[in-house]
Amino acid sequence: MPDEPNGTIHVESQSLADEAGMEELRSLLLGPTEKQLADVHALLTDPQRQLKEVAHILPAAIAVRSRQDDELTDAMAPTVAAALDRSIRKDPQPLADALFPVMGPAIRKSIAAALSGMIESFNQTLAHSLSIRGLRWRFEALRTGRSFAEVVMLHTLLYRVEQVFLIHKETGLLLQQVSAGGTAVQDGDMVSGMLTAIQDFVHDSFSTRRDDQLETLQVGELTVWIEQGPLAVLAGVIRGNAPIELRSIFRETLERIHLQYGAAMKEFKGDAAPFAPVAEMLEECLRSRYHEAEQPARSGRLLTPFRIAAALLLMIVLVWGFFWLRNQRRWDDFVARLRSEPGIVVTDAEKRGWKYHIGGLRDPLAADPQVILRESGIDPRGVVDHWEPFTALSPEIVLARAKKLLAPPASVNLKVAENTLVADGFASHQWVLQARQAVRWLPGLGQLREDNLLDLERIEDPLLMFQLDRAELVPGQEDKFTRLSADIGRLQAQAQAMQKNVRLEIVGHTDGSGSEAHNNTLSAERAQTVANALRTRLPVWTNLTVEAAGTKERLRDEFTEADRATNRSVTFRVISTDAR
Amino acid sequence: MIQKKVCMVGTFAVGKTSLVRQFVESVYSDKYHTTVGVKVDKKVVAVGEQDVTLVLWDIEGAETGHELRQSYLRGAAGYLLVADGTRPDTIANAEALQARAEATVGSVPFLLLLNKVDLGEHWRVDPEELARLRALNWLVITTSAKTGQGVDMAFATLAQKIMGD
Repeated sequence: MPDEPNGTIHVESQSLADEAGMEELRSLLLGPTEKQLADVHALLTDPQRQLKEVAHILPAAIAVRSRQDDELTDAMAPTVAAALDRSIRKDPQPLADALFPVMGPAIRKSIAAALSGMIESFNQTLAHSLSIRGLRWRFEALRTGRSFAEVVMLHTLLYRVEQVFLIHKETGLLLQQVSAGGTAVQDGDMVSGMLTAIQDFVHDSFSTRRDDQLETLQVGELTVWIEQGPLAVLAGVIRGNAPIELRSIFRETLERIHLQYGAAMKEFKGDAAPFAPVAEMLEECLRSRYHEAEQPARSGRLLTPFRIAAALLLMIVLVWGFFWLRNQRRWDDFVARLRSEPGIVVTDAEKRGWKYHIGGLRDPLAADPQVILRESGIDPRGVVDHWEPFTALSPEIVLARAKKLLAPPASVNLKVAENTLVADGFASHQWVLQARQAVRWLPGLGQLREDNLLDLERIEDPLLMFQLDRAELVPGQEDKFTRLSADIGRLQAQAQAMQKNVRLEIVGHTDGSGSEAHNNTLSAERAQTVANALRTRLPVWTNLTVEAAGTKERLRDEFTEADRATNRSVTFRVISTDAR
Repeated sequence: MIQKKVCMVGTFAVGKTSLVRQFVESVYSDKYHTTVGVKVDKKVVAVGEQDVTLVLWDIEGAETGHELRQSYLRGAAGYLLVADGTRPDTIANAEALQARAEATVGSVPFLLLLNKVDLGEHWRVDPEELARLRALNWLVITTSAKTGQGVDMAFATLAQKIMGD
């Protein structure tokens, strides 16, 4: 066992000896680097030194990264914003101090622009206040509810950019020039030289600041607006009052020119040729606006080809319009008349293509559309018509149909009232019978009303009987005679009302006994007896004739005494003397 | 066409305006000198095959370099120094003006015109002074705005120098 501790001691002493050897070996091998390693270690563990190192490379590192991409900016933005925010909360003064030199001019410039616009309009208002035109405008302002300044502005906002110069700033030489048609073009080379000289003069003489430049020249009604760029100046010669927006057009044009021709302008040695295309851009500045009432007369010539053509065109349009209107009116009248025509139902009336079309239903008894068309004055060639026949029930057509079918004598007046055919006047018994029958078959009618119709049968049928061989009536016929005379009175009244000439023939008859001469005399006496009797009842009757028929118009063959008694009589005939 | 800005620089009453008037038909009135201090004219001259438009800025007379408006000189491709041959001080002034001009526009071509050569008996140009200037590589031309002597040549020479001979 004693060996064991010895052994152990041996090992320990052995390892101690090894340790010292290793140390020596290490220092021999790594001697120079050891110090460096110690330094690195110190650097990694000492925050103070780390700080110094990072501070050393930070600016360069930021620059390198910024060139690479925007990530650093993105990352820092919130922090910077927060820092600014906190700084302002804490004390706004330092930031205000820092911004002051920037803010001052910016604010001044914007206020100056606003003020100059305001003063301009104020001046205009003042200038126009006390003239007749001004008074008129004031009235207009009152009428329209606008402000006076607004009305003045509306009336005076007339301008024309007449010339635009692009001038090289350094040399004052002309780069390009455009002018509106018809305006006097000054020698651009000298104008641009003088404009530059004047700008320099004004700048040198009155201005205190480097970036203050002449912006406007006012000469009578001409204004020169000068827009300054770093390399070139744009000058527009304007007649009238241009709106402030024009400035921005000038400015934008100048900016675009700088963008495209900046390099060329920097190297400009007097050759303006490369700037020829600029003319197109400058032409955009040649704007104009006139008030309608004050459009300048374009030229003294009244009869320009354009005007003649326009006048001709106007004339053609007017003439065409007149005819079109007239035709339209005629057509409307024609259609209206057809619509009002009984027995015609218009279902189609319009213009299709070049032709008028008209059509619908038409009763054959209705008026002829072709006749109406001819009366309307419309060219029939321009009209297409198509009609379907139908049976109309309008009173006019019903009446026409009745007249056509019944062929009433001239002494009868027909009219239609509430599905009834009304006949007035007088007619033969035969016609009356026929009419009564026919009216039942006429569409739209039911019956014949004959309250005022005298059936001539009532006069022509009865006989007045006479005593044998005497011119005296057989007694007991008073009632018959009374009825007869009443009917004759009605006939007379009807004839008068209808203005018809009617003659009443009183015909005397005898029986076959006795000589013919005696019979003639006797029949004449009998007729005369009746005529006299009638005259006592109808004093105004004038057209009354007496006929002696004797035995010539025998009423009956005489087989019995009754037959002979019948023949001893007087009869009546009604003769209408107007042509039937 | 090529355009070049050319300035006329010199003391009062040395005859700059008369020279320009001799050279071109003027559009603007001489009043501009007293108001704006400059008058712009133009003249087309031929340099070899090429036509060049000279835009002439006739700047009001200045006694010293400080009185010379730099802004009017800006962008000039060349200039004419004008002195009065009968007034030696104007030649001395011309030197000062040249220095000022060169400071503004750089070393662009220029000529010294000794004007009023028609006033023979009053001519007071010191030959030594002249020799000194020529030694400085100055080009000197004697002119007369009255008779036109040397005028066209002066402008043509300057145009040639501007266009690089």
